Amino acid sequence: MSVTRRWSAGRILVILILALAAVISVFPFYWMIVGTTLNPNDVLRGILVPGRDFVSNWLQAVKNYNLPLFFFNSLKIAVLTVVFGLVVNGLAAFGFEKYPSKARDKVFGVLLLTLIIPQIALVIPMFRMFAFFDLLNTHAAIILPSIMSVFIIFFMRQNFKMFPTEIMEAARVDGAGEFSIFVRIVTPSMQATYASAAIYLFLGQWNSYLWPLITILTDTKKTLPIAMASMMNAYTIEYGALMVIVCISVLPVLVLFLSMQKQFVAGLLGSVK
Amino acid sequence: MKKRMFIVLALVATLVVGLSAQKKLTVWCWDPNFNVYAMKQAAAVYNKTHPKVTIEIVDMAQDIEAKIISGLQAGGAGLPDIALFQDFRIEQFLHDYPKAFVDLKAAGVDYSKFAAYKVGPMTVGDHVYGIPFDTGSTGLWLRTDYMKAAGLNPDDYMGKDLTWSDVIKLGETVKAKTGKPLLAYQSDNFDMLRIVVQSTGGQFFKPDGSLDLHSLAFEKSLALFKELNDKGLLYPVVGWSDWINAINSDKSAGFLNAIWMVGSVKSRPANAGKYMIIPTPRIEGVPGAANASNNGGSSWYVFSSSPNKARAVDFLKSVWATDTPDNEAFYNEILKGAGAMGTFLPCQTGSNYTAPDDFFYKSQPIYKDFAAWMKDVPVLRYTPNYVPMRDAVAHATLGYFQGKYKTIDETISAAEAEYKQVMGQ
Amino acid sequence: MEKRGIYQRYLNRFGWFCVAPAMAFFTLFMLYPILSSLYYVTRRWKGMSNTFIGLGNFVRMAHDTIFQDALAHNFFFLVIQVPLMIFLALMLATLLNQGIKRFRGAVRLAIFLPAVTSLVVVSVLFRVLLQTNGLLNNIMIQAHLITTPIGWLTDAFWAKITIILAMTWRWTGYNMVFFLVGLQSIDTEIYEAAEVDGASKVRQFFTITIPLLVPVILFSAVTSTSGTMQLFDEPNILTWQGGPANATMTAALYIYRQAFFVNADFGYATAMSYVVVLISGIFAFVQMRLLGERRAK
Repeated sequence: MSVTRRWSAGRILVILILALAAVISVFPFYWMIVGTTLNPNDVLRGILVPGRDFVSNWLQAVKNYNLPLFFFNSLKIAVLTVVFGLVVNGLAAFGFEKYPSKARDKVFGVLLLTLIIPQIALVIPMFRMFAFFDLLNTHAAIILPSIMSVFIIFFMRQNFKMFPTEIMEAARVDGAGEFSIFVRIVTPSMQATYASAAIYLFLGQWNSYLWPLITILTDTKKTLPIAMASMMNAYTIEYGALMVIVCISVLPVLVLFLSMQKQFVAGLLGSVK
Repeated sequence: MKKRMFIVLALVATLVVGLSAQKKLTVWCWDPNFNVYAMKQAAAVYNKTHPKVTIEIVDMAQDIEAKIISGLQAGGAGLPDIALFQDFRIEQFLHDYPKAFVDLKAAGVDYSKFAAYKVGPMTVGDHVYGIPFDTGSTGLWLRTDYMKAAGLNPDDYMGKDLTWSDVIKLGETVKAKTGKPLLAYQSDNFDMLRIVVQSTGGQFFKPDGSLDLHSLAFEKSLALFKELNDKGLLYPVVGWSDWINAINSDKSAGFLNAIWMVGSVKSRPANAGKYMIIPTPRIEGVPGAANASNNGGSSWYVFSSSPNKARAVDFLKSVWATDTPDNEAFYNEILKGAGAMGTFLPCQTGSNYTAPDDFFYKSQPIYKDFAAWMKDVPVLRYTPNYVPMRDAVAHATLGYFQGKYKTIDETISAAEAEYKQVMGQ
Repeated sequence: MEKRGIYQRYLNRFGWFCVAPAMAFFTLFMLYPILSSLYYVTRRWKGMSNTFIGLGNFVRMAHDTIFQDALAHNFFFLVIQVPLMIFLALMLATLLNQGIKRFRGAVRLAIFLPAVTSLVVVSVLFRVLLQTNGLLNNIMIQAHLITTPIGWLTDAFWAKITIILAMTWRWTGYNMVFFLVGLQSIDTEIYEAAEVDGASKVRQFFTITIPLLVPVILFSAVTSTSGTMQLFDEPNILTWQGGPANATMTAALYIYRQAFFVNADFGYATAMSYVVVLISGIFAFVQMRLLGERRAK
């Protein structure tokens, strides 16, 4: 391979384009981290070298904006959604796939049909329903509607297809009940599927905005996205503290992504938003 | 065993009930430099005589009305005991949710002691629902350092009743010499337009509540804004906080707004000594135009869904509507601290109402000036439909600036059309 | 025989047991909302009271140019942003796949990174970056690309571009990963043969890569279309409540504002959401048909 071929104009162009794309993609992350060390005015002006306000921004985010509470609220809601979501959707996917029946297939068809309905079309009746049951401004109002996910049922069902029915038959011969087959044999061998589904559910809830915006009325119930959005709505925006909260809200997802890239991408690829 | 268990349970129950019945009031308002600050001072005054009452003051930012609408629709879920409402917004709520608020006249508040124009919007028939908070007397805020840099002597302008053509001349000079546009301007916000129209005595609604934008006052005001815009005298931003930010990062040589901006201006120490405030400029060619106007102004309301409404009423009445030396000191304090000029007349006698304020250029006695201008302000009719009108007019005005509408007539038609659409007429 | 029938019934019952919890949630949070919306759509709300107006909400919609403009904005974003993003993602995927060997993993990771942020975070970041006196304008002025700051958030036209920029930043790397997976399934021999025939890389991109990836591209288009029809977070936070002056108002945001922000007009908002569902349904149907046709071949 000659030197001229290695450094042809085309090649340099390719490298330049990719480098530019990488820089544009990463730059806001760098800037957001630097932002946590700046005073509000410098955040706005777009200063790119770290300042000295890291501690005060952090203190402000914790004291004035109750960052730990928002973080805990977000985490609690997302984790509970994942736990209930895996149980409910995993079981349903298993039932639909491994116990074939025409009636259930019809039901499944109806489920799939509702995938095209955008969330905004459901929030008004849901708001009225939760108001009626006096459950507005509770975390249950955020968790309950996001437990069942047609997409997750679909996604898990596709994966359950790959589980050999013969193994189930063999277990039945050994006298295992259906439920224990599901819990002890099927579930443990579908860990990758569950991990992807968990990531999908977690991301969906951790990032959700519209429904919590409608149901959360008071400060102590806020999640991170709602807290950030209402900071942007304030009469005085504390940009330094805001950057701290932004970083904190990105961090868990980033860690999740870097530690479980494969399941993460599988989970994301599935996310038909 | 069972009995002991029962006793323990009973104890726990009383403790829980006791804790939840602990004397706590929640107040929603929206600006830490202004009404949040003022309410905190009020809470401190009340706590002197009622030390066991905890008053929690929540900064709801600009989501406050949306959250209140949701809470009311849900039959009171999540609502506080007390909330602050813009005077221009309350008519909508009193109209749409007639049972949502506690009648404070029936609770014994003497409204003859409040500025009469504040009581109008909160009155429905024989019922009066709010405790008036502040006035929004306006002035033209100017940066004397930029004026000097442009070779102008601020003293020549101090206290002068200018016309808008004078102001445009001033702005052009400052812009040419310092590069600073004269006014920071929220490009899709209605406030500045309202200030100018109200200064002429103009109205947006007829007495029967129907929309009326074909007035000389409104047309002249639109033409003025277009001129300011085309001459580069406006520094446009979107959103309130970015507007404050533009002001506090020296993007403009001034702004046009109300007395309650004192808190935001003072929140930046570097502004000390730089600002002077002159009377709201007058628009030429409109009969009845004054060098005074109003923007904002809000009042406190108690929700009838509140389990603590008796205490909430007591708090509002005893601090905000009773003439005592403590309360006078409180009203005096929030005036200087945040530019919150109360509308409870017996307490408008504190020293700060006349005192010079060192934070301003040549220690201008700004409160005295704002109070004096207040007396000349023509009263604006709000109606329950102020917000749709406000948004429609603001949107059309921006369309006019950015060339979407070519003439004033087109702009007015566009505003009327949007108003009708949002109203569903 | 009899015994086998009983066993089958048992299995069938267990199948229902499995799907029952999901069906309960589905009934409460999907079926019931859909059915009860039939009631709301015929009503006009004013405060706590409401009245029957039949199809009145749809009549109102026919005259509501704000809603019509909002739908037009959705289409605008769809027509500009989705193809732009898909083209960029395809190009980056191809370059990454064929152009470089060293740092490939790192570059892929970097370009994918925006996909870990929530739409709220994207909106917050871009709102600050794109201030009139913000970072991007400052950089562009210093680089002599522009002389006066661009009104990214204050100008009706530029605000739309701002939304497109933010969406493209957030979703390009995400879609690129789809295409990378797709590219791996293409036999390299096809390219080698094209190389022998003297086809340039650009030509190969248009005559080999794109046609072979059409199913993936369509899938990507379906998901992006659905997302764009629901656009809410960005116009509400980034461009400040659909501003300036409704220039970035979208259907979902207008529905939200009518139901929860300015008024509590649940009837009219529901009627508008019906239109959004209808349009989303038509898009999904057309795209699925296209996808189905490809599969059939």
